[in-house]
Amino acid sequence: MRSGLNKQGHKVIKSQGHKLKATGRRWILLAACSLFFLFFLLGLTSRPKPRVYIRTLKNKHYQLIVEGKPYIVKGVCYNPIPIGESHEYDWWSDKNKPWIVDGKLMQEMGINTIRIYSCGENPEDVKRVMRDLYELYNIRVIVGHWVGLWNYPCPSYGDKEFQQKITKEVLEVVELYKDEPGVLMWVLGNENNYSCLGRVRPWSTEKIDNEPDPQTQIFMRAKIYYSFINELTKKIHEVDPDHPVALGNGELMLLDVANQFCQDIDAVACIIYRGKSFGNLFNSLRTTFDKPIVLTEFGADAYNAYDKKEDEGMQAFFLESQWRHIYENLANEEGAGNCLGGTSFEWSDEWWKHNESDPEGWNIHDTESFWGQGSYYIDAKAGKNINEEWFGIVALSEELENGLNKRTPRKSYYVIKEFWRNPKLKKDDK
Amino acid sequence: MKRIQSLALTLCILVALTTCVFAVSEEFVVYSDKNSSDNHYIASGWMGDHGDLKLNDQSMQEPQSGKTCIEVVYIAKKSQNQGWAGIYWQNPANNWGNKKGGFDLTGMTKITFWAKGAKGGEIISKFMVGGIKGTYPDSAEVEEGPIELTDTWKQYSINLAGKDLSYISAGFAFVVNADMNMDGATFYLDEIKYEADPDVKPQGRKKEDMPFYVFADRGSINNHFIPSGWMGDYGDIKYNGGSNEDPYLGDTCIKIVYTGAVSQGARWAGLYWQHPPNNWGNQDKGFDLSQATKLTFWAKGAKGGERIEEFKVGGIMGEYSDSDSASIGPVILNPEWTQYTIDLKGKDMSYIIGGFCWGTNVDVNPEGATFYLDEIRFE
Repeated sequence: MRSGLNKQGHKVIKSQGHKLKATGRRWILLAACSLFFLFFLLGLTSRPKPRVYIRTLKNKHYQLIVEGKPYIVKGVCYNPIPIGESHEYDWWSDKNKPWIVDGKLMQEMGINTIRIYSCGENPEDVKRVMRDLYELYNIRVIVGHWVGLWNYPCPSYGDKEFQQKITKEVLEVVELYKDEPGVLMWVLGNENNYSCLGRVRPWSTEKIDNEPDPQTQIFMRAKIYYSFINELTKKIHEVDPDHPVALGNGELMLLDVANQFCQDIDAVACIIYRGKSFGNLFNSLRTTFDKPIVLTEFGADAYNAYDKKEDEGMQAFFLESQWRHIYENLANEEGAGNCLGGTSFEWSDEWWKHNESDPEGWNIHDTESFWGQGSYYIDAKAGKNINEEWFGIVALSEELENGLNKRTPRKSYYVIKEFWRNPKLKKDDK
Repeated sequence: MKRIQSLALTLCILVALTTCVFAVSEEFVVYSDKNSSDNHYIASGWMGDHGDLKLNDQSMQEPQSGKTCIEVVYIAKKSQNQGWAGIYWQNPANNWGNKKGGFDLTGMTKITFWAKGAKGGEIISKFMVGGIKGTYPDSAEVEEGPIELTDTWKQYSINLAGKDLSYISAGFAFVVNADMNMDGATFYLDEIKYEADPDVKPQGRKKEDMPFYVFADRGSINNHFIPSGWMGDYGDIKYNGGSNEDPYLGDTCIKIVYTGAVSQGARWAGLYWQHPPNNWGNQDKGFDLSQATKLTFWAKGAKGGERIEEFKVGGIMGEYSDSDSASIGPVILNPEWTQYTIDLKGKDMSYIIGGFCWGTNVDVNPEGATFYLDEIRFE
C-alpha cells in the first residue's frame, strides 16, 4: 500500500484493487465493533441513577436525592379519620376526598411528604390518592407496611410460613405502587422491635423458650426479626431499585443487633418522643448502626393536661424545637449529618383513640391523658400528660365543609411553616 | 460664688458616694463578728430537721478572726424525720421569697468563708448561695459540696463569676445530713463574705474525674446521687442504704426488699438515684460524666433467681433531661456477689441527673425479691 497527498493536501490511500477494498472493510467492521463495545461498556457504567436514593457525601453525611436533587423530608403522618369513625375507616375511598383539601393546606405550609402506615385495600383508590397529592401538590408518600405486627395471633417472625406470607404481602405492595411517581420510600414495620423485648405483641420459638437467660432470649428474637427484615429488603431491592427501604424502629432499641444482621437496609425510620429535642439520638446512631435516619414519628399534643385546656403554644414550642434539632443534623450542618428529615405525628386529630371499641366515644374529643412523659415538661405536673386525640397540627370540628370536618390549622402549622421558610439553627443564634 | 460653692459641694458628695460604692463593690459581708455593723444577713432560715440544730453566732471558740465565730451543733436525731438539716442566712430575717429585700451583689465574683470541724471529718452536704423561690426569688442559685472539714481553720471559696447576683435574699446557707454524719457534727464558720476578685472567671460545668461513685458506702462523701426517685408501686420498696449484711466492699451495702404487693396498683416498681434529690429533670444540675466509659456495680439476690428487668444510667426526661441513657437487662441475680457493667462507649454522658436506676415487676417476681447492691460507680 502506498500513500500520498491529494491537491488539498489530504493524505489518501491509493487503491491496489479488491484486496485493498477487503482490508478497508475489515477496518470499518473492527471500528464499528469497537464503538459498539465502547457504547456497551458506557451503557453499563452510566446506568441511570435510581429515582430516589441516599447519597453519602465526602464528609460521610447522608443526603436523600430525589430526581437528581437533594430532598429534605418535611412531612406529617397522615391518617384523616373523620369525627365519628375509627381506625378501621377506609379514608382512601372517601368520596369527599379529604386529601384534596388537606393537600392544599399542606402545600401552603411547605409539606412535601406524608407518611402512611399502610395502604388501603383497593389499589386503584390508593393510586388515585398518591397521584392527586403528587400531581396537584407535589407531595410524595412514604409507604409503610406493618410487617405483620398486628396480625392475630401475635406475629411469629421465627416461623418460615409466616415470613413467606408477610414477604408475599410486602412484595405485592411494592409491585403495585413502585411506579407511582409520588412514592418516596418504603418503611418496614413501626415499633416492631418492641415485640422482641416482649413489650408489645410478644412472640417466641421453642428454641428461645429453652434459653434460660432473658437477655439472650431478646438477642435471639432480634436476630430473627432483623435477619428477616434484611432478606425482605434484598427482595424489595430486586423488584424496585428506585426507592430506599427503611427500617421502622422504636427509639434506637436493639439497633446494635440490626447492625449485625440488617446491613442491607437503606435507612432507619425512627419513632421517638423525647420532648423538645432528640437528645443524643443522631450521634448515638452513628456509633450503633451507621445508617441515615428519617424520623417517621415524633411530635407533641396540643392539650395541656395540667391546665386542662387546649394549648396550641405548647405544641408549637415542642414541634419547632424538634424540627430545629432535625435541621441541625441534616447533611452539611454541624450535627451528625445523618438525618434526612421527618414526618411529625400528625396532620389532623383522631377522635377515636381514647376508646376504640366505643363508637359513641368516636364523636367526643376526649381529654383524658393516656400516658406520662416528663420530657413534655410544660404539663408534666399532671402526671399522665400525653393526649393521643390532640396530636394534629390541624384541628377538626364537627362543622362540615363539603362533607368534611372543617380543618383549622393550629399555631404549630404556622410556626413550622415559618421555620421551614427560614430555618434558624443554633449556630445562627450565636 | 454661691454657684461655685454649690458645685464644690456636689462634687464632694459625688466623690464620697463613689468611694462608698467602690468600698461596697470590693467585698460584702454576710458575717464577720457578732453585732458587727458589716453583717448583712440573718441566720433565720432553718430547714429540715431544725430540731437537730443549735447555732451560736458569738462563739469564742478560737475564732478565725475578730472576737467571735459561728458554732453549729448538729445532733442527727432526725427530729422532724427528714434526715437532713440546714440554715439560710436571709435578708430580711425569715424571708422565704415573700418579702422584698435582698441585695444587688452584681460585680461580686466569689463568696469566701472559713470553716473547721470540732474533730475533723465532719461532712457538709453543701454550701449554698441564693436559691430562695417565691414571689421575690433569688436571681441565682449556686451550691458546692459535699465538703469534708478538717480540725483546723481552712478557707473555702465558691465561684460566682458570671452568675446573676442582681437579687440575693439568701446570702449563704449550709446543709448537713444524718447519713454522712451519723454521730452528728459540730463545726465552726467565720468571715463569710462576697468578694469582687477580677481574677475569678466564669466556670463551665466541671468534667468529673473518674471513678465517680453513685454509691460507695453509707454516708460516704463519695456518694453523688440520692435514691430519691421512687417509681411505680413505691410502697412495695424497702430501702436500706446502710445494710451490713455481707457488703461486697466497705462497711455497708444497699439492701432492697421489693414485696410485690402492688401497693399502688402499678405491678412494677423502681428506684432512681438522682442529683439533686427528686430531680425529675426540673433542675439544671447535672454532672458532666463525659469521661466515663462504663458504669459498674455489684449485685446479688438473697436467694438467687431474682429478676431485675432493667438496670439503667440516665434516661430521666424533663426540661433538663439526661443527655443519654444506657441499660442492661433483664438480669437474673446470682446468690453471690457478681459485677455487672453498663457500657457507655458512644454515649453522651455530658449531663447526668439520673446516676443509676433499677426496675422490676411482680409478674417476673411473684413473691417479691430481696437483693443487694454495692460499689456503684462510673469508670
